[in-house]
Amino acid sequence: MAESETTKKIDVYLRRLAGALQGLPEEQARDIAEELRGHLVDKISALESSAMWSGGAAGVDAVFARLGTPEEIARQYVELNGGQAERVQVAATIRPPLRMWRGLLRCVRLGLAGLLVLVGSLSGYFVALSLICCALLRPLHPHSAGLWKIPDAADDLSLSLRMGFGSVPPGSRDLLGVWIVPIGIIAGLGLFFLTVQFGRWRLRDFFSQRRARAVAAF
Amino acid sequence: MEMAEKWEVQVRRGSLELAILAALWDGELYGLEILRTLAANCALVVPEGTIYPLLSRLKSEGLVSSAWEEGEAGHPRKYYKLTANGRRRALQMARFWRSFSANLAGMLEPLDKEER
Repeated sequence: MAESETTKKIDVYLRRLAGALQGLPEEQARDIAEELRGHLVDKISALESSAMWSGGAAGVDAVFARLGTPEEIARQYVELNGGQAERVQVAATIRPPLRMWRGLLRCVRLGLAGLLVLVGSLSGYFVALSLICCALLRPLHPHSAGLWKIPDAADDLSLSLRMGFGSVPPGSRDLLGVWIVPIGIIAGLGLFFLTVQFGRWRLRDFFSQRRARAVAAF
Repeated sequence: MEMAEKWEVQVRRGSLELAILAALWDGELYGLEILRTLAANCALVVPEGTIYPLLSRLKSEGLVSSAWEEGEAGHPRKYYKLTANGRRRALQMARFWRSFSANLAGMLEPLDKEER
């Protein structure tokens, strides 16, 4: 049997695999294809050197059949990848999500909506962090850290969250007193959690849209 | 060929992970060698393609590590070996498996009389 024909079959199989593996990082997809190519080459050459081999294409086809269709294998790899993403998401609720930032930055490159999500997330983290800092600094700066109402020339409502570095303008009123400590910590953590949720929600939306587009194109 | 029952398939799939870790106990192997070990030792006949995604999961869980090696085959092969974590996990799974199957065997004793 012509060797080139077997090689062609392997190439067709791996092309189908590559198509089904879209959505996985390119490097990983290449790695998988190389490993399966090795498997097919090894099995076919073992077959060809065995005494039982008659030279027909049926034996070669059986090697492909035993491996499973490229779509089946790809599905298992992609499912596995989904499992990983879930684990990462669980970690993201505990630690500030580095991976999520990378995702957000990728999302920004795709347009204004992404930029808004990034700005929204940044503001969320900033305010959350400020609240927590303010609460933690209150014991150190009891007369200046807190949420202050600051008098304004036009007598507008003007609030200021202060860490206690620098003095408070005269006539200001401390709105929360020591309550800034529990309220600041709880509100800060709450906002932090909400911001993480918001980012994850937007990212998931973004990626599911992109996957849908990839599938449509395929 | 008789279609395997759903339960049989599940048992096989569930034990495949332990069987792979056990196959790697004595040293590194590439995918096809692992498949041959499984087929030779415990008749764990699985669609061959399932082992590769599973190896990739074991790797992402840190139980095995892999390295491409240029061999006499003329093409590189991806060799897998157990990490320290993988060895620990394999021992743990083996312990569980033994006590679990011993308990189940105890439960199956009444059925044995029927069989005889």
